[in-house]
Amino acid sequence: ILHSRPLHTTQQCLAPLPPLPEKGGEVRHGLIPEEFFQFLYPKTGVTGPYMLGTGLLLYLLSKEIYVVNHETVAGACILSIIIYGIKKYGADVAAFADRLNEEKIAKVAAVKNEAIKDLETAIEEEKKEQWRVEGRSYLFDAKRNNIAMLLEANYRERLLMVYNEVKKRLDYQVAMQNLKRQKEQDHMIQWVEKNVVQSITPQQQKESIAKCILDLKALSKSAQAAV
Amino acid sequence: MAGRRAAIKAIDWAAFAERVPPDQRAMFNALKTRSDALAARLAALPEKPPAIDWAHYKAVVAKAGMVDEFQKKFSALKIPEPVDTQSAKIDAQEKEAAKSTAEYVQASKARIVQYEQQLQKLRTMIPFEQMTFEDLHEVFPETKLDKEKYPFWPHKPIADL
Repeated sequence: ILHSRPLHTTQQCLAPLPPLPEKGGEVRHGLIPEEFFQFLYPKTGVTGPYMLGTGLLLYLLSKEIYVVNHETVAGACILSIIIYGIKKYGADVAAFADRLNEEKIAKVAAVKNEAIKDLETAIEEEKKEQWRVEGRSYLFDAKRNNIAMLLEANYRERLLMVYNEVKKRLDYQVAMQNLKRQKEQDHMIQWVEKNVVQSITPQQQKESIAKCILDLKALSKSAQAAV
Repeated sequence: MAGRRAAIKAIDWAAFAERVPPDQRAMFNALKTRSDALAARLAALPEKPPAIDWAHYKAVVAKAGMVDEFQKKFSALKIPEPVDTQSAKIDAQEKEAAKSTAEYVQASKARIVQYEQQLQKLRTMIPFEQMTFEDLHEVFPETKLDKEKYPFWPHKPIADL
């Protein structure tokens, strides 16, 4: 697999190397790379490497190039335990290690995403502030309006005040005249009454009372008939 | 008479309110209440005071000449218009505002350009799985360890670990 990764063999190149492959090379029985089997396939077919392996093993054993002693038994036990352990827990350990790595990357990616989001919101905010700033003419229009309204209101108040004052004075004159005339009338009426009452003498009083009684008698005569 | 009628422009308070930033709301509300109070005051006053009925008064008031004198003085009276002292200041303020806003907008645009550059860099960076530490320091310069200032491991103050 290492052959398939093209290193920079020629002059200096600033491009980064292509990334490392995700998985390692293919192996059979956990030990022997697949290339060996492919290498022997054209000449010996599928069973070739196995025949080679078996023959080699038997040669080593029979010629006692490899001596079987207690180390062999110990080695066989240890190997079997190791193989059992890897077969049972290998996948979990790999997943755990991958998860650690992923967490690291996720943390950094979160930082990067947040940075991107912050920048975008900052750009939005800036644009919004620019839009806001465009509305400053409203403020000055409002101020000028206020001034115009104030001036106009003041002017109208002044006009009204003048009118009110003049009217008040004229009305005062009219009211004074009316009052004077009324007082004169009342006084005259009183004076006339007083004089008339004074001029009624006792003689006139007796004459008028006698006349009233006569009138009453006449009236009672005519009234009786009605009742 | 024509000078006093400065045109009162219709203001779109809704659009104005939209553009007010939230921290200046109080000032805006104060301005609005003041404007409304002034408008109400203006609307309550009649444009012209009613005309005085001179004929009636001439007939009623006995004192000769008084009504005539009043009438003559009244029609001769010229009420001065209130003088506008603040408009010049407002215009000056407006120019100031125009200048400062132009500066602000320019600064804002520069900031936007900066942000855009940073954004571009972040968007086109190589994925983290393929980075080396040098590549990381290129994209996030704050991760670079200062080996001159802190020559011994861990190359940053212990408190930052």
